[in-house]
Amino acid sequence: MKKFYLMLLLVVGMVVLAACSSGDEEASGGSGSEGSSDLDTITAWAWDPAFNIAALEKAKEAYDGDGEYEVNVIENAQDDIIQKLNTGLSSGTTNGMPNIVLIEDYRAQSFLQAYPDAFHPLTDVISSDDFADYKIATTSYDGEQYGLPFDSGVAALYVRTDYLEEAGYTVEDVTNITWQEYIEIGKDVKEATGKNMLTLDPNDLAQVRMMIQTNGSWYVDEDGSTPNLAGNETLEKAFETYKEMMDADIAKIVSDWSQFVGAFNSGDVASVPTGNWITPSVKQAADQSGNWAVVPMPRLDMDGAVNASNLGGSSWYVLNVDGKEQAADFLLNTFGSNPDLYQTLVKDIGALGTYSPAAEGDAYAVEDEFFGGQQLITDLSTWTDEIPGVNYGLHTYAIEDILVTGMQDYLNGAELTTVLENVQGQAEAQLK
Amino acid sequence: MKMKKKAFLILRNNSLFIKMFLIMVISIVAVSLLITFSSIRMSSNLFMDTFSISNTKALEQIETQFEDYSYAIVGATHEVQNNGTVKRVLTQTNASTLETYRSYHDISQQIERIYRTVESYDANMIVLGNNERLYNVNYSNWPVSWEVLRNHPITEYTVNRPNTLLYQYLPSTSFTDEPMIVATKALMERSTGEIYGVLYFPIREAQLKQFYEGYTSAENEVLLVDATGKIVSSNKQELIGEEATDILAMAKEVDEEQLEFKDAHVFDTDYLLMSQYLPTYNMYLVNLVDKDAVLDNLINTKEILLISLGIVLLAVIVVFIISRRMTNSISRLVKQISTMAKHDFNMPVAETGGYEAKKIANAFNSMLSELQEYVDLVVLAQQKQRSAELMALQHQINPHFIYNTLASIKFMIQQGKKEKATDMIHALISLLQNALSNVEQTITVEQEITDLKNYVLINQSRYGDGIKVNFFISPDCLDCQLPKLILQPFIENAFFHAFNEKKEGFVQILVSQKGDNLLCEIVDTGDGMEMKGDHTKEDIKEKRHLFSGIGIRNVHERIQLLYGEQYGVEITSEIGKGTKVKVELPFQKTDIPANSNKITSI
Repeated sequence: MKKFYLMLLLVVGMVVLAACSSGDEEASGGSGSEGSSDLDTITAWAWDPAFNIAALEKAKEAYDGDGEYEVNVIENAQDDIIQKLNTGLSSGTTNGMPNIVLIEDYRAQSFLQAYPDAFHPLTDVISSDDFADYKIATTSYDGEQYGLPFDSGVAALYVRTDYLEEAGYTVEDVTNITWQEYIEIGKDVKEATGKNMLTLDPNDLAQVRMMIQTNGSWYVDEDGSTPNLAGNETLEKAFETYKEMMDADIAKIVSDWSQFVGAFNSGDVASVPTGNWITPSVKQAADQSGNWAVVPMPRLDMDGAVNASNLGGSSWYVLNVDGKEQAADFLLNTFGSNPDLYQTLVKDIGALGTYSPAAEGDAYAVEDEFFGGQQLITDLSTWTDEIPGVNYGLHTYAIEDILVTGMQDYLNGAELTTVLENVQGQAEAQLK
Repeated sequence: MKMKKKAFLILRNNSLFIKMFLIMVISIVAVSLLITFSSIRMSSNLFMDTFSISNTKALEQIETQFEDYSYAIVGATHEVQNNGTVKRVLTQTNASTLETYRSYHDISQQIERIYRTVESYDANMIVLGNNERLYNVNYSNWPVSWEVLRNHPITEYTVNRPNTLLYQYLPSTSFTDEPMIVATKALMERSTGEIYGVLYFPIREAQLKQFYEGYTSAENEVLLVDATGKIVSSNKQELIGEEATDILAMAKEVDEEQLEFKDAHVFDTDYLLMSQYLPTYNMYLVNLVDKDAVLDNLINTKEILLISLGIVLLAVIVVFIISRRMTNSISRLVKQISTMAKHDFNMPVAETGGYEAKKIANAFNSMLSELQEYVDLVVLAQQKQRSAELMALQHQINPHFIYNTLASIKFMIQQGKKEKATDMIHALISLLQNALSNVEQTITVEQEITDLKNYVLINQSRYGDGIKVNFFISPDCLDCQLPKLILQPFIENAFFHAFNEKKEGFVQILVSQKGDNLLCEIVDTGDGMEMKGDHTKEDIKEKRHLFSGIGIRNVHERIQLLYGEQYGVEITSEIGKGTKVKVELPFQKTDIPANSNKITSI
């Protein structure tokens, strides 16, 4: 009888032990790949929490479509986004890719051309006519509209009215002028006030880019890949103008953003020709309120050039992965068709969109006391519509790196045609 | 009160069980607790040992990462120091716009080239010149202006130690920037010792974290503690920037004494602290392993405790059942034995329960039966002895009776009453014959009556016929058996004691069958006597026996010895009216005397 109990105890004990130890075998497995195949959630990548991330959050609030899905906004540094897209798309895997991604306009074509099937066309989703023409040029490829234009990079000339006054000029005198006229005014301003007219960064040819776009030209041909440098009259004109500015000694040389911002905030320069996104930085110097005005960008002294250009700007793209319909639906019902959202963006974030119907809203008509009561947003969006559309192509930054050195040579006395031929040769060799 | 008593009784009856059970339970619980805790302790110690070894390895790997980064920085620093362009741009003064333009371009080209060494670490690179020149490779990483950076404490610190590559912690100053670790080096003109600029390699703490983040987990923390005890980097965000001099002290101790690890109590938690000194950084790489959390993952204490609890429960149940069975049989035995006296020691105990209890019960039973046997033997022997005694008494005829009777006969012969004397001698002869010669125990009623009649005749002859004796014998009782001389003592008693006051009266002798019994009654009309007690022998005062040794007291005893307790003598008496003696005997016919004859004839 005792033996029996002992056996019973052993058996029961073993059963208990076995039951306990068999519990922990789940947990592993699962968790692998979900990402974009999950249709309940779509992800969107952007880089600036104060700007485009904030805009996405506003868009989520403003969404008025029927879709039932969550939008997961993820912040990544711009360089990381480019790197991840490149590695992801070139390896052909859609794993870990977002549904919506924000791409800078200068880089957009390189993605659209390199990975034509990776993006979901929005041609039938959005109405291209509602957006600024120049944006459509940069966001479409091969007849298909891929990007939904986001912020405007419309360039403008921010001027110090007090300095101009000192030199005997009015705001009208700097409105719709050519760069040559600008240089002349600059000389007078420097004479009268001792202040430089503008800042120039030897490593950033933003001025050249803005100049050539006033005449509808770019570093590359219409095909987006052939370098268009040697024999590019617009580029030659821009280089000449640039040299004239240097020769006129009206430029303060800066090497980074802090010096650039510091120059106009401290009152060292009389004007800032750049993208409209500089507005908040200009307004940082509250003591200068009322001393600023914003006028259209100077144009190159050429036939066909207009007083409107662009610097920067970005657009939304939908990747061709599971959930693309939701992503397109989200974009259509927010940035693609909601004028009120653009009012919110202007008011709360200071982001100026390129959606034309939005220009009629109240927020656009607000008068800005800092700029002497100017209806800044209305003006900017008017100029946006006039920006000549160009194909930024694939190699904007790569060509500019070469051009920076060419500019050095040119400024140091080399012949312009030779310089541009050299640059053309280098670019062709490097980008082939 | 009753309840209490009952409870006490139950407790007493089960005391053996309770004692045994309690001891077993306590031992089982103690043993399983000890085993559980010692095994948990052993395995956790073992795990901690191996864990510390693997973590030390991990620390070494992390150190390699840090060294790699440091090496990249050192390389970049050398290049910058030996770069003529950089030196020229940073020492240039009073340059024209065009010269400035060119300088900015040139330094950019140089720095961009050198920057590639550290680019993969996501570190920034800033060159600061005393001539208000600043080159910041990745402006967004640290948007700092020349004025701010020139007057920054880390610049001052660096300028004061121009020959050393320093790693300095830069806390987050607003919510937009992040804490950074900045490697700084003063740029010095070797020949003159003049410092013309400062080189910075800021790396965000988040980037630095990636050197070790792969090795960390919730319970496995890595800290980078600088020489002042400040935590400059950690996988635990909230610790960054905290002062932790105690950790620094322990880290130093571990490193200097070459310890594998050290137990540390910091942040209100018990940790295993491992440390590695990073000489190039002058910082300590500290690995904190949360003991409890790690062990929680390794050993499911709850599970182990549950298992032991389950085993203990099971064991207790089994022990309960077994000990209950064992003690129950023993208790039952004890109970039976303790009530044994009530049953005259002749009720055997039940042989149930476990082996031991059965054996005990068995032994007890055999002892009991043995004892019973001996007791029976003793009783038998005593009965035999008594019966022999009675027999002897029976055979003892009082010699005075014979003298007196013979004296009476002598007087009769002298008086010439020849016939009467002859009758008397006859009566005496037959009386003596029956009393002495007949060895049989029992005789028929007829013989007994004959003897009685002879006795009565002798007595009447001696003392006169004042007392008349009548015999009423039921004819069917004549051949009934009864012990010899069983009625004589009562008649004798009636003759010599019943008629002390009255001088005349009757004595009636009645023999009849009553049911299965033979009823003999001796009724006298004499003085009677006072009765007390149970109407049996005690009430009859024993006087000298006039005829034989058997007194009326012995009669009762003898009957009971012979036939059993349901038979015997009953005496009723009333003063002035007389005494009535009832003798009850089994109604037995001649077959028993036949048997007795046989025995005696052998």
